[in-house]
This record gives sequence, C-alpha cells and structure tokens, in this order.
Amino acid sequence: METDSARESGEEENGFTQPEIGDDDIDNVAEDFRDGLGLLSPKEKTMEERRNGTLDSDNDSDDNSRIRTVDENGNADDSSRIEVEEGQSDSSRIEVEEGQSDSSRIEVEEGQADSNRQIAEFSSENNNFVEGHKEISEAREHLEDDFSEQEIEVEAPTSPSSSGYAGGRGSSSAASIGSASGSEEIRDALRSGDGVTECFGNGNGEHRGQASWAHGKRYSNEDETSISWRKRKKHFFVLSHSGKPIYSRYGDEHKLAGFSATLQAIVSFVENGGDHIKLVRAGNHQIIFLVKGPIYLVCISCTEEPFQALKGQLELLYDQMLLILTKSIDKCFEKNSKFDMTPLLGGTDVVFSSLIHAFSWNPATYLHAYTCLPLRHSTRQAAGAILQDVADSGVLFAILMCRHKVISLFGAQKAILHPDDMLLLSNFVLSSESFRTSESFSPICLPQFNPMAFLYAYVQYLGVDTYLMLLTTDSDSFFHLKECRIRIENVLVKSNVLSEVQRSMLDGCLRVEDLPGDPTLPSDSLSFRLRRDKNLQVAGSSTGTGRNTGIGGPAGLWHFMYRSNYLDQYVASEFSPPINSRNAQKRLFRAYQKLHTSMHDKDVGPHKMQYRKDENYVLLCWITQEFELYAAFDPLAEKSSAITVCNRVCQWLRDVESEIFLLEASPLSW
Amino acid sequence: MATVGNKNVQAKLVLLGDMGAGKSSLVLRFVKGQFFAYQESTIGAAFFSQTLAVNETSVKLEIWDTAGQERYHSLAPMYYRGAAAAIIVYDITNLDSFVRAKKWVQELQKQGNPNMVMALAGNKSDMIEKSKVSPEEAKVYAQENGLFFMETSAKTAQNVNELFYEIARRLPKAEPVQHPAGMVLADRSAERARSSSCCS
Repeated sequence: METDSARESGEEENGFTQPEIGDDDIDNVAEDFRDGLGLLSPKEKTMEERRNGTLDSDNDSDDNSRIRTVDENGNADDSSRIEVEEGQSDSSRIEVEEGQSDSSRIEVEEGQADSNRQIAEFSSENNNFVEGHKEISEAREHLEDDFSEQEIEVEAPTSPSSSGYAGGRGSSSAASIGSASGSEEIRDALRSGDGVTECFGNGNGEHRGQASWAHGKRYSNEDETSISWRKRKKHFFVLSHSGKPIYSRYGDEHKLAGFSATLQAIVSFVENGGDHIKLVRAGNHQIIFLVKGPIYLVCISCTEEPFQALKGQLELLYDQMLLILTKSIDKCFEKNSKFDMTPLLGGTDVVFSSLIHAFSWNPATYLHAYTCLPLRHSTRQAAGAILQDVADSGVLFAILMCRHKVISLFGAQKAILHPDDMLLLSNFVLSSESFRTSESFSPICLPQFNPMAFLYAYVQYLGVDTYLMLLTTDSDSFFHLKECRIRIENVLVKSNVLSEVQRSMLDGCLRVEDLPGDPTLPSDSLSFRLRRDKNLQVAGSSTGTGRNTGIGGPAGLWHFMYRSNYLDQYVASEFSPPINSRNAQKRLFRAYQKLHTSMHDKDVGPHKMQYRKDENYVLLCWITQEFELYAAFDPLAEKSSAITVCNRVCQWLRDVESEIFLLEASPLSW
Repeated sequence: MATVGNKNVQAKLVLLGDMGAGKSSLVLRFVKGQFFAYQESTIGAAFFSQTLAVNETSVKLEIWDTAGQERYHSLAPMYYRGAAAAIIVYDITNLDSFVRAKKWVQELQKQGNPNMVMALAGNKSDMIEKSKVSPEEAKVYAQENGLFFMETSAKTAQNVNELFYEIARRLPKAEPVQHPAGMVLADRSAERARSSSCCS
C-alpha cells in the first residue's frame, strides 16, 4: 500500500516524474514481468517457428534476443518459472462482465491491494508461491466459469499461432485459437497483456523535453523486452487483423511482431465468441481496443484518462492514417489478408507521433472544434474575401492557418470541412518538414469529408508559421492553384494581413488577467486588444480597472476554455501563473478532458453544469445550447464568485467574438 | 513538354527514384545550394523552378521532386506526364534503389513522353567506399536504354550542376525535330494540347 500511495502522489504531483521509492517498485514489477516473459517466450517461439515461412530474418534475430534477455535475467530455472506463472495469474483477479450493449465490455479488474501484494510476493520471497498455488485453482475456476458463460469453445484444437498469419480474419474460425484449452489460452493472452501493462506503468521516462516527438520514431531500438519500453506511460499500436504490426509509438514495429500477435490473439479470441473487446483494465492500466475493419488500434495507458477520451484518440489516429492512405486500404486486405501496410506508411512516423503529442496539449482533439488566431475583424475579413474569391474559382477548400490556429478559411458551395479533418490536416502539414522547403502538391484524404477519395492539396508557407492550403478534386490543377496562391499572397501582403498575423502570434490570445472587472463600466467593452494596449500604458500602476493584481484573474480564475457550439470553434485563454510549467498545463489539460468526458457521459449525462473541487483546482463547467465553458480556479475560490466570473467571461467573449472567432464560417452551414 | 520561344525554353523536369535516394537533396543543392544531412521525406511532390542560361538560350526548368514512398507510386504519372526530362536517381550504396531505378526507366519508356531526355544519377558518390552498384554497370545500363549517366553527390555538390546543365543542353536539341518549320504532326499536336493544359 505504501508503494502504491507513493506512486499516486507522484502522479498527482507532476504528471510524470516519479519519486525514488517508485523506482524500486518498477524494478520489482519489471522483474515480475521478465518472469512472465520467460513463460511466454517458448510459446512465442513456437509461433515464430510456425510463421517462419512468412517472416524475414529480422524476426528470428528478435526472437533470439528475447530469449537471451530472459536468460540474462537469470530465470534459468524452469520450475521457478512455472511457480511464477501460477502465482501471477492467481493474484490478479480477473473478472469478465457482460456489458449492456450488444457488444459486451470485457473488463479485467485487478484490485489495488492484490497488485501490491503481488509486487511484494514476487520481489524476492519465494515462499509466497505456496500461497499462490492454493489460489490458482480458484482463479482458474473463476475464469472457466466466466468463459463458459460466454459460450466460448473450450476445446479448440489448433495453436494460437495459426490465428496470426494463416487464419486471416480473426473471426473466420473458432478453431484458430486456443492450444490446450480455450480458457487457458485467453488467460495467457490476458495475463501477457496484464504483465506488460503493470510494467510500463510506473515509468518516469516519458518526459524528455517538449519537442522530442518531432524527430519521428522515438526509441526505435526498444522492443517489448526493454525495461524502458515497458515503463512508457502511454503506448499506441496499430496492427492488421492478421497480427502484423503497422505502427507503434515506441519501439520498432518489426521487433514488436510477437507483441502485435498477442494483441491480435486477444481481439480475435473475443470476436470468436461473437463479441467485441473494448477495454481491459489491469491495475491502473487500461488497454483500449478499436477495431476498424482489418485494422486494429490499441492504446495501453496508465494516464488515468477516461476510456471515452482514449477511444476518441484511437479514432483520430485511425483517421490520420486514412488521411494519408484513404479507406481503400481495406481493399488491399481483401485481396491479401497478410498484406503488410508498413511500407505504405513510410516516413509518416512523425505525423503520428505529433498527433499523439497533441493528445496531451491540443483541446481540439476532444472538443472537436478548431481555434482561430485572434485578429481584427477587418483583417480577417480581408483574408476571407480573397479566399472566397479563390474558392469560387473551383477550389474546394481554401484554408489559411498559422500553426494550428485558423486565420481564415472558405469552402466551395455546400462543401463542409469537419473540425477533425482540419486538426488532422494541419497536423499532417505541420509535422512534415518537407512542406516548408517549397510549394507542394500532395494527395490527401479528408476522412470526415470522404474517406474513400483523395483530394489534392497545394501547400505553401507564406511566412515562418503561416501556411496556405488549397484543396481540389482535380489532380491536374497544380498550376491553377499556384496562380491562386500568388493572387492570395499579393492581397495578403498588400492588406498587411501577414504582418498582423505575426503581431498576433507575439501578442498571444486572451489572458485571464485582462478579464474586464466590472461589466457595468463602459470602458470594459473595449476589445481585448485595445485593452491590452491600455494596460501596457498603465503598466506599473497596480490599480487597473478592477484588475486582480495577484496571481491569475479575478476571483482566482486561472484559465478558461470556451467552445462555441454554433461555430464549432473554441478559444482558450493563455496559460498564466500558476499554470505556467508544462507539467501544470498538462495536468490541467487532463482535468478538462476528464470534465469534458463526464459532462458528455451518455449513461448519466449529459449535464448542464458541474462544479468540482479538489486540492488542485476548482473546476467549473457550464454547457448550454450555445456554448461550453470550462474554467479552472484557485482551489480556495468561492462558488458564488466563480459563477459570477464565468458570466463575465461569457460576456467578455461575446464582446470580442468578432476578433477571436471566424464568424464568416457560417456559410459553410456548420 | 519543352517549349521554345525567342530563345526561351520552358521544360518540365521530374525526379524519380526510391525513397532516400537523394532526389530532394539533389534539387535543393541545385536550386538553393543547400544540403541537409537529415532531409525529411517529401510528401506528394515538391515544385521548384530554376532558370539556366545555356548557349545564349535561357532554359526555365520546372522541377517536380516526387516522393519516393511506395504509397505515391501510383500517383507518379500525374507528375511525369508531359515531362520533357526526367532524372532517375538511385543511391550507390543501396542495390535495391538501383533495381527500383530500372523499374522507373521501364515505366517511363512505356508510359512517358517518347522524346523525353532521361538521366540516370547515381547519388551519394561521396560514400564511394560503401558503393554497391559499380559505375560501369550503371553506365552500360544507361547506354543500352538511351539515358546519360552521372555519379553525383548532393553533399559535396559533385556533378550536381553538371547534371542539370547537361539536361538543359540536351533539351533544345531534342526540340527542333518536333517543329520542322512550323509543320506540326498530328500526334504531336494532341500531346502538346494536353501538356499546355497541365503546365500552362
């Protein structure tokens, strides 16, 4: 219990770093997992052998190294390995529940106390194995009962390996899984997932500086035997229905072939039971599965993000893949179920890692809205006019952006651009360095617009961070789009839009300190930009118009986020003290994400208002037909004054809406 | 297609080859004089233009630097259609990239403009000690298939300008044959009409 609470407080303190006591914890768990691997490897080896025909030498060498690792860890004694196996499976309490919906949810829950005891048991003392022996029979009975309730075939003859490469679609035959007995098979599968997740969990290794995602594949030398790999807090995997790895956030995909096959086995086992797997819970880890035809996406996380949020992230990851390849990729799997997709995604690691990074800082990933760069209304109108002009000349979408913020956009008649498509498109362009070097013309697919077809994107940077995207359905129109770009650029330069954009990037967005004090004072209805200028003039004099001179805004307002439901746009205030460290920002981001999920929970919600207080913040969420407001206050903030401030924020945003939102977007009939 | 007018020639040039062969590096070295050891993968195709003076003629090259990734192979015709010249690039330290280059040559011979000026560039000649493709073999292959061959290095700039200038020199030579004193052959006119619509 002690280690566990230490771990939790470490998580609370700053998101990723781990107090020293946690490191011992990690070692214990890692050892535990190595034991688990020692057990798994013979089985995986047979899998490798059976697949030898289709595998290249890479996998063989990988297999060797895995075995070697096990040996190095000194688990030479076979009998001790068996002891560990039994003990491990017993101490994790596995519960399988039928969900209410047609697709049942499988949850494997492991009590906190149990896992702690497990850690204690396997750290050094072997005498606990005896106890393990007693309980193993119980656990096995429990499992078998549950699975027989689900009418899963227990007497399945063939080996699990065949479900990988030979079996094709996991659901094709019930016989494709289960070696000696079906229940034992799934238990192995679950346990392997279990062991793995337990081991990543306690990691303190994730945070390696902000921009480290930018270099494409990170830690490609890792595989499932690396301790550092297991310590990662959040893994993403994409694999094909035949178990071939397609993408892994950490580690080299090809080295993770065995691990992918395990994930595939779990999915297809449940599918054979006429069911769909959604979530496996193991200690403080969640394993989320998303099946999209022949493509499986899996997230293994101990970040305590809600299931719905993680599932949404997997959906976006899948859509990002469609943006690069379109949904016609499914046809390749129809022709050849063993189709290897990795070559098709060559060079796109950076796109995925940047998207995954966005999952921890960009609210657009769960608000399903985009944000605009604050600009004078007239400036935005000038940009919008020329984009509309171009859109009328046969361009499907004309989008002008600065980093991830929209300056202006226009679509041809009846063409609707979904905020998620915008997120994925801008992520694609921003993460690929090659767009910065020259004008580009590239096929892309907007999954929400049409997942089957390519559009052609003309992309050109007009400044350091400002870029123009012109989308068309005509693959021959490069030179037309080039002319359009020249026209647009001329207008933008003449009307000073580009210099205004630069200025706005320097100024930043709304600040909580600038929240007008008393709404009855007429001077406060000035635009926030003018207000800021005024504040600069009176800089030093601490008695501004009702401005809070302490940390944050009035009534302890630290931060807010506002989503306009009519526009599908959001605006968030700049981070200011005390939310100025990246850890604090990430923690607030996660808190908002949790709040968002609970507000939109379909089982108990949707809610209209939520007031939540913990040791970090007072969080207030207010949802109306018109907007969603999320606000974070000092934990000592009073409820009544917090509500008053929220009203003032809404009023403020209404006053400056022409500067912070793209109001001309309405012709797109959002 | 190359077009001639008042000693100004405009020509579409496409670079093809396996990923990592150095197509973007060659173009960047030629157009901007830059070289990056870790050049990011090209997405789709990047467009550059550069004007050269060759024998009192100014040749404006419209350069399409295509992406080498497999997912873009099916889209390559979009870029090489109507091209007056092509550079097929391989990495001398990578035999697979040479095999891939031969496939590009075949495809262009089948699908491309029959009068296309084609160059075979064995890139990364600065890493000659790791070479897997002998220059003799490449040269013989190039001669057999009507290409001209050069070993280049985007890193050291060796033969980079030479490569593009040689293409520019060969272009106007190819041209007069197609315009014998204002008479236009039927099949050429069709092709010209198409090309003018895609590269105005």
